Amino acid sequence: MGMASMNSSGESLKLCVFDLRRGQNEGQELDKILFFYPPDVTFSTQLSVIGLSEGLITFTRSVVEKNKEIEAIWRVDALQKVLKEVHSLFVMFHGSVRSLLDKEPSGGLIRSHLYPFITDYLNDLSVGKKLQLPSFRETLKERGTVQMLTLARDAALEVQSLVGVLDSCAGTLRCHSVILFHDLLVSTTLSPDDTVDLFTFSVMRLTSNALSSGTSSWSYLRKGTSLSQTSSRSTSPQLLVSSDSLPSGNGNDAGRVIRPLQHNKWSKGKDGFLVTDIWGKDATPTIWLHQRQERVHLLAYQHKYLTLVLLVPTEAIVNGELDISFVKHQVTENASAKLLKVEEKLSKGWGGENAYHVSGYRYLLVDNDMEVSRASPPGKVATLAKETLLAVNKLRETVDAEKSRTKEEKDMEICIRAKNNAWAIARVTRGKELYMALEKASDTLLDATDSVQSFSNRYCNGTFSMD
Amino acid sequence: MSSRPSSSQTSVGSGALSHAYIQHPSLRCNVPESRGLFYDDANRLLICVTSSQVFSWETATFNPDVSPSVDSIPEGPILSIRCSLGKKVIAVQRSDCEIQFFHRETKQTLTHKCKAGSESILGFFWSDSPLCDLAVVKTSGMDLFACDSAMNLRLVETKKVNVNWYIYTHESRLVLLASGLQCKTITGFQLSTAGVVRLPKFEMTLATTESNSKPIISPGDVHLITVYGRIYCLQVDMEAMLLHTYRFYRDAVVQQGSLPIYSSKLSVSVVDNLLLVHQIDAKVVIIYDLFVDSRAPVSAPLPLLWRGYQGSDTSSQQENEGTESSTSSENIVMYEDAWTFLVPDLILDQTNKAISASSSDRSSLLEFLQRRKLEANKAKQLCLGIARTLILERRPATQVTQAIDVLVTAYSYSVKAGIYKELKNEKTTATTPTNDGASPDNERGRASGSSIDEEEEVEMNLPSGSADEQQESQLSSPAISPDELYKFVFASVEEAMVEESDYLVAIITEFLRSISAEKLKVDLNIYVMTVRLLAHSKRFAELSLFTTNKIIEPSKEVALQLLESGGQNLRVRKLGLDMLRQLSLHHEYISSLVQDGYYLEALRYAQKRKVTSVRSSLFLEAAFASNDMQHLAAILRVLSELIPGFKETSEYYTFHGLLNETSSSVAV
Repeated sequence: MGMASMNSSGESLKLCVFDLRRGQNEGQELDKILFFYPPDVTFSTQLSVIGLSEGLITFTRSVVEKNKEIEAIWRVDALQKVLKEVHSLFVMFHGSVRSLLDKEPSGGLIRSHLYPFITDYLNDLSVGKKLQLPSFRETLKERGTVQMLTLARDAALEVQSLVGVLDSCAGTLRCHSVILFHDLLVSTTLSPDDTVDLFTFSVMRLTSNALSSGTSSWSYLRKGTSLSQTSSRSTSPQLLVSSDSLPSGNGNDAGRVIRPLQHNKWSKGKDGFLVTDIWGKDATPTIWLHQRQERVHLLAYQHKYLTLVLLVPTEAIVNGELDISFVKHQVTENASAKLLKVEEKLSKGWGGENAYHVSGYRYLLVDNDMEVSRASPPGKVATLAKETLLAVNKLRETVDAEKSRTKEEKDMEICIRAKNNAWAIARVTRGKELYMALEKASDTLLDATDSVQSFSNRYCNGTFSMD
Repeated sequence: MSSRPSSSQTSVGSGALSHAYIQHPSLRCNVPESRGLFYDDANRLLICVTSSQVFSWETATFNPDVSPSVDSIPEGPILSIRCSLGKKVIAVQRSDCEIQFFHRETKQTLTHKCKAGSESILGFFWSDSPLCDLAVVKTSGMDLFACDSAMNLRLVETKKVNVNWYIYTHESRLVLLASGLQCKTITGFQLSTAGVVRLPKFEMTLATTESNSKPIISPGDVHLITVYGRIYCLQVDMEAMLLHTYRFYRDAVVQQGSLPIYSSKLSVSVVDNLLLVHQIDAKVVIIYDLFVDSRAPVSAPLPLLWRGYQGSDTSSQQENEGTESSTSSENIVMYEDAWTFLVPDLILDQTNKAISASSSDRSSLLEFLQRRKLEANKAKQLCLGIARTLILERRPATQVTQAIDVLVTAYSYSVKAGIYKELKNEKTTATTPTNDGASPDNERGRASGSSIDEEEEVEMNLPSGSADEQQESQLSSPAISPDELYKFVFASVEEAMVEESDYLVAIITEFLRSISAEKLKVDLNIYVMTVRLLAHSKRFAELSLFTTNKIIEPSKEVALQLLESGGQNLRVRKLGLDMLRQLSLHHEYISSLVQDGYYLEALRYAQKRKVTSVRSSLFLEAAFASNDMQHLAAILRVLSELIPGFKETSEYYTFHGLLNETSSSVAV
């Protein structure tokens, strides 16, 4: 099974999902295709793209070295992260692609799920009529990681106290929870992988910023907020999903395919809980937790900029919506006071969208262990010259290549002088990465590394210090 | 007045079923030809008189073997007797129109008489108010006198009121004058160090029945008590079978509800701020805590028992054979007719054991116990026990949280109060006349009304017993420090709760939140324990959050625990390493890096920080084990620079030899 994206000069993107085990016989090749974007491409084109992708996969399996001819505006790793993201989200809602294929070998079921899901996902990436994939302009961002709010100890204790209450909202079976403030993660009880998926989804659809449509987001996850309106006005027909045109999924109990990423479907109810009819009227969404290999009910609660996602084990919900409303009641009863307190504390300490801006620096910090990243605010990154960004992009490609070559965690430092005399510096130490762009042209390398040093000491607990 | 007071004292309760005990042995006053027993509450003296002698025992520091002091006074009837507050003068009421004063040192005598026929003296008491030293209550009102060291009485003020009877306690400095046909109209004055305050006149509540349409209140029906620094008046309403409570504020008297009565005879005591209502006919005592709004008793009614009294065991006291009528100690009859209950706590003491078994709301029970001052250690042990049990029984986290909050807040309060009290002590010594001798005039002016104003509560200024009393109670406070909570609650349940670590972590989090809110610190071992528990339940993501948010405070011990728990999870191990580095624990950091196979990074770090304490063989062995001869060569070179004389060590030769053996191409 494969998933591939391809594009030429950024103009026409093609994205497909195919299964190499299928359609092995002559004349049955179409059976391989599980999803293809754009949908209006001829089957022969689809098959040729898939053939090329197949070839690429086989090729990269045998040759570890990456194709260095790819244009510098793209970074392979960043593109892969997009594919990984849509895949993870799909699995979170629908389970693995393989399990759906096994359920209905004809492929109708998986196709009926993939089509609206990926289309809805791509809507988020499109700006105007075009899909925009992460290019060098987003090189100081890391998809597939979580952005966290830094908490003072007393606030962290209040948050943890709230988490403790949420834990026991469904009786003896422990509930998991993820708490966000604005579009930043405050706390999680999930594994890093599950946290990333749920965080991504929450920022796309649940947070207060996501709900108030029209608000421009500073998170890369919601680039196309205006998009949903575009698609509803049918100016971008290829992204429209109309349910009657869908192939019917026989395996689906409701006879209807659920579209978890559908736009403008969530709203805040009177009781503070977020409601949606995506899963049906009065039905509570369920998601699949990777680490625990269990399905859980998803309840989202919102107070001002605080969003709380509560995951209730399905075993705890025996009587359907009756039990759900019991859990909701427990939340309002036991947690609301703490919730108000947490919201108040976080609001007091909230530094705004530019809270993590460090003047003079443009940076990206990645912690691969915790799958957490922090970066200069997009508005500040946008002030960098194109040459600088391209240099950073190249730098990242180099680090990616080095990482995939050595496999084991190694310390490294790479500095690149850009055409405009800016410095692009990377420091990697045991699972943590720091990328930095310094544009003061007069700086010598020594000045530049000194700047990195002081940044590391000041903002990274000396993690990247090499004195 | 014939009474047999025993004093309250702390000791461990006997096994008998009771909340309240009389301390045994009791103080005995066996004076031949005794003519009566009196209790001077201002000086806490038990006074026994004969025709010409006065025996007085200190009861403040209770000691059954204490010998009385003896004074001689002229013969004559004694209606009442009280010492001045400096104990230099003994005042004796001889009749309803005459009081005599005797100076204990100068033997000087003075007689004070009122207008015979038109008025009569109901009684008198000494005062430490700045205005006067002595108050004489007469049927026509109250005369306030100043008295100098030469025992000259000077009338300062007269309060005109028709008085049927009065009650006064030195503890409250409050005198209540009863007037009216039913004696239910009450005029009150407080003669405190801040001056004389007149309380608003108020009417007591009295139910009427057909058989008794005009019941009359007698002085025995009214009790003045002080609990938690508040002054209450309790009044028996026999027709309604209710004990009405009134609370005194500076400018108001507010009825506060009523307690039921189960006996035609009733009395009250106060022990450790608890109200004990003796239902004399029923021979039981009911305990109330007026601090809480609820008027429910804190315990079921149980009999009053002697403490320490064991059957026929004759006490070691030998000096009996006396004449005192009610001293027949061995045949104990509870609530004899002759008993008198004296303010505040004479006769009674209580233990907490039975209460803890009979109260079900744990956090209010803990609050209750934390307010206890007597038997503080016992209350403390009980609190620890309750907290442990709450956790072991896996009570809902909210309940346990509440309980912990109670304990932490109480501790914090007691710490703060301790500081506050030191200040207050200074103030008290500055403003309270020392009552040294009968010369209070000297410092009188200094005692301003400030002490009233500074009290934030509107309630009346309570001239508290003494600073010493507070000091004592503070030393034996039931408050539990965070360290003790860690040691005696959390650490002690860890083993039993290890399979419930989720729950325990939630409780610990609440505990940390609670102490953080009070700005308190706790034994850092609790953080080590938290790491252990989170790692045990494989909650690594949260462990990371706890560490980065510093809920778990960094320390060497925590870092080492992270390294140990990180055996199962590399991410956790890294947290430990990071912590070591951030704490500049170079030696541990380098050793752990080498252990993880990062010997080059470790050596580079050692080189930069000039750390030579890590065994050089560690690096060499690690490099040799990884079979990287270039690394080995590099390490030998760096070590040679780092450690003086390294080239002369056997280690150098060993590894240098190994290097040459394996590869001749690498130059060192």
